Amino acid sequence: MAASHDADTEGITRRKSLATLAGAGALALAGCTQSTGDGGDGGSDSLSGSINIAGSSTVFPLMSAIAEDFAEDYPDVSIDISSTGSGGGFSNFFCVGETDFNNASRPIQPEEEQLCSDNGVEYVELVAATDALTVVVNPEADWIDSLTTEELAMIWEADAVETWDEVRDEFPNEEINRFGAADTSGTYDYFIEAILGERGHTSDYQATEQDNTIAQGVSGSEYAIGYFGFSYYYQNPDQLKALGIDDGDGPVEPSLETASNGEYTPLSRPLFTYPSISSLGNEHVAEFARYFVEQTTNEDLVAGDVGYVPATEEIQEEQMQTLEDAIEQAQG
Amino acid sequence: MATDNATGGGFGEVSRLRGIAFEYLSLGASVAGLVALGVLLVYVAIDAFDLANASPEWLLTYFLTLVVPFLGFCLYSAGDPAITRRALGALGGGLVAVAALFTAIEAFVVDIPRLSWQLAYLFVVVAPVTGYLTYVGSRGRVGAVGFGLLGRLVGGVAVGLAVGTLFLVFDELVWFLAYTLGVLPAAGLYAYGRWRDADRAASAALPVGLVGVVAAVFLRGVIATYPSDLIIYLWTLAVPIAAVGALVVAGRGSRTAAAAAGGVPLAVATATGFLAGGLGVPGPTALIVLAVTGVPTAVYVHRVIDGGEGVVGLGLPLLIAAGVIAGALVVEAWGVPAPDPWLDVSYVTEAPSRTPEEAGLYPAIVGSVIIIALVAVLSFVLGVGTSIFLEEYTAGSGLVGSLTRLLQVNIANLAAIPSVVYGLLGLGLFANLLGLGFGTAVTASLTLSLLILPITIISAQEAIRSVPDDLRRGSDAMGATRWQTTKNVVLPEAFPGILTGTILALGRAIGETAPLIMIGAATTVFSAPSSLFNRFSAMPMQIYAWAGFPQAEFRYGVVAAGVITLLIILIGMNGTAILLRNRAERGN
Repeated sequence: MAASHDADTEGITRRKSLATLAGAGALALAGCTQSTGDGGDGGSDSLSGSINIAGSSTVFPLMSAIAEDFAEDYPDVSIDISSTGSGGGFSNFFCVGETDFNNASRPIQPEEEQLCSDNGVEYVELVAATDALTVVVNPEADWIDSLTTEELAMIWEADAVETWDEVRDEFPNEEINRFGAADTSGTYDYFIEAILGERGHTSDYQATEQDNTIAQGVSGSEYAIGYFGFSYYYQNPDQLKALGIDDGDGPVEPSLETASNGEYTPLSRPLFTYPSISSLGNEHVAEFARYFVEQTTNEDLVAGDVGYVPATEEIQEEQMQTLEDAIEQAQG
Repeated sequence: MATDNATGGGFGEVSRLRGIAFEYLSLGASVAGLVALGVLLVYVAIDAFDLANASPEWLLTYFLTLVVPFLGFCLYSAGDPAITRRALGALGGGLVAVAALFTAIEAFVVDIPRLSWQLAYLFVVVAPVTGYLTYVGSRGRVGAVGFGLLGRLVGGVAVGLAVGTLFLVFDELVWFLAYTLGVLPAAGLYAYGRWRDADRAASAALPVGLVGVVAAVFLRGVIATYPSDLIIYLWTLAVPIAAVGALVVAGRGSRTAAAAAGGVPLAVATATGFLAGGLGVPGPTALIVLAVTGVPTAVYVHRVIDGGEGVVGLGLPLLIAAGVIAGALVVEAWGVPAPDPWLDVSYVTEAPSRTPEEAGLYPAIVGSVIIIALVAVLSFVLGVGTSIFLEEYTAGSGLVGSLTRLLQVNIANLAAIPSVVYGLLGLGLFANLLGLGFGTAVTASLTLSLLILPITIISAQEAIRSVPDDLRRGSDAMGATRWQTTKNVVLPEAFPGILTGTILALGRAIGETAPLIMIGAATTVFSAPSSLFNRFSAMPMQIYAWAGFPQAEFRYGVVAAGVITLLIILIGMNGTAILLRNRAERGN
């Protein structure tokens, strides 16, 4: 009897304690669960989604600076940016519908428009900032301070001069070392449009997408010349010497002021980004595009951190209007 | 007599001049390569850690608190007065020689940029001496214990971080279901089969596991409520690891020690995991890291104490930690100006930025780790499969033999094709035709796997070919089938060689940029990817982009820090593979 009684009580206590444990465990676990219902993002305050951006390596620093700030405000929006060159971005990614934005350091070209419309990709053109294409020489070259647009064309045209004294008589009789943008680059296209026109671009030069390589090449030789976007020169003013460009009204040196007030002609150029209209139908893309246009007047960011000329209030308002129209068209 | 010898009676004499010249030429060739590489790495390290701005006092402080005790430990472990004398001689003589030579070069020849004689001494004398003494010390019992413990700590943290990184993109809920329904029952059946000698249970393990995994994938869409991530990792990773550790210790006899070796790290990991949220550290990752580090460490400590040899060596991690803390205290107390390294904690945990001081590599590191993990699996499976087929199953003669040889030649040629071509292939095949997406991890890892596949195949073939035929014939003679011979004889023998080839190939894959550019991988992303079909960035892409930035801080400091990070991850990866290889070699 005693034995069975003992066994009973022991059984009960064990069962009881098991039940207690199970209850406590269930309670503890209940606090540690997650559910994976289809929590749609339609109703939530915070935007989410991904934004794919490709295109010009010139616009890349500006776009990444703006995207960085946007990503801090909206951590659930994942933005990726590829630096592919303006043309590479249009033909490989944007016009086949793979990216939401394409950056360009020149306007979209007819073949690219054709490709986009073949694939049913509609877009809108936004001006991002202004760049002053900068022609640089070695800081040791004290015999040169400026060039006229005609002289610049003589140096870079398809049938280019060989030595400096052919450009101007007082220049030394030394061979010209040229460093410039590769033909996938919008900088190359713009340089042809602004300076060379029908005369074509020489092929006798070191072509590269990297400003760094141009800078190194030019600082390595007293008789070298090169051209690239303003930001590299702006960040490293002592490493190279920027030439003034004479478009008929005397030489003007590149700077944020001369580029924005229109004195630095013909080499100050607008930079663009092209959002795809169907992408603007997504709220997170539209919001990013609005943010981008807002930031184009931000002096600290555009001029200070990146080295381009910020847009004026007027241009910004205009761009915002264009953008809102496109968003309206996309979102119906 | 003398004339006899000279005119060719005896052996005559051959001029040794050519032999000696050849010896020194080959020495010169190897030294030139190593010195060039060494100089490059030294400058990258100087840039990454901002050593150019390190004051001599700062260097001296850490030399005394960190390097000297470490060298002392190695010398104590070696226990050889001759080595001690040689090391002290090299350190002392090197100090004078480097200081004199450096000053002389600076004064009379050229100015050496961004180096001081103290730094030169550190790199030219202290680093090689430390390397040598580490090697000598690790051969003593005390040193072996110390480095064994250190290796488990560092390796555990690395593996834990890598596993945590992989769970950023792999769905931990699928893993939870697959583990609960597939892996756990299968392992249980297998263990039961082995224990009770019940073959049927053991052979049922694989089908049960597969059914469980398939069911898990199916159920993932049905079940809506899951335990929290922390519980999942606790249940699927920390508890099994602790159980295995406890079993290992129990196998050596002591039950209490077994409970402690499994339980203490588990408890610490769990507690930290739950509290980590308050400290701003992701709890699940902390849990994984502590479990993966703590259990093997505890097992190792138990083994050493149990063996009773070289127990002093267990103090090595403490010695190093104490050195770091003491150095930091001295630097703090005396206000010694310290360098501001580019490669710091925020660099590996933050997103890229336009300001060099805030720029980080985190999303690109995650991208690279995930891509390389996939590439390792894919290329290993495909490469080993192909090479086994070519070596073991195809006939050596006749029509099939000729076809095999043709295939061989083509594989060898594929290894020499420029990587950008593989990028185009990936763009056309995986991104466009199969629709796996532009610049996604899947596309990237498939492309890179194809890129290194020829190297993997060729090296695995060499490894399989070097298994002596006698072993195969012996196995055949025992009545083994070809499959049994391959599984039990050839593959275990060839495994170390196969791993060596795979390591080399993976090293190439992690540094590739051109194919990634072609398939549209992102240059910069701001958040770590959360799925395999997200757009990825990889370390070489981001480093290349930074190298083109206008600010000099990016082109030197930030890029150098990226290069060092890439190297550390590469070394960690290779270290894992080399450990596996050594273990396999010892197994033979």
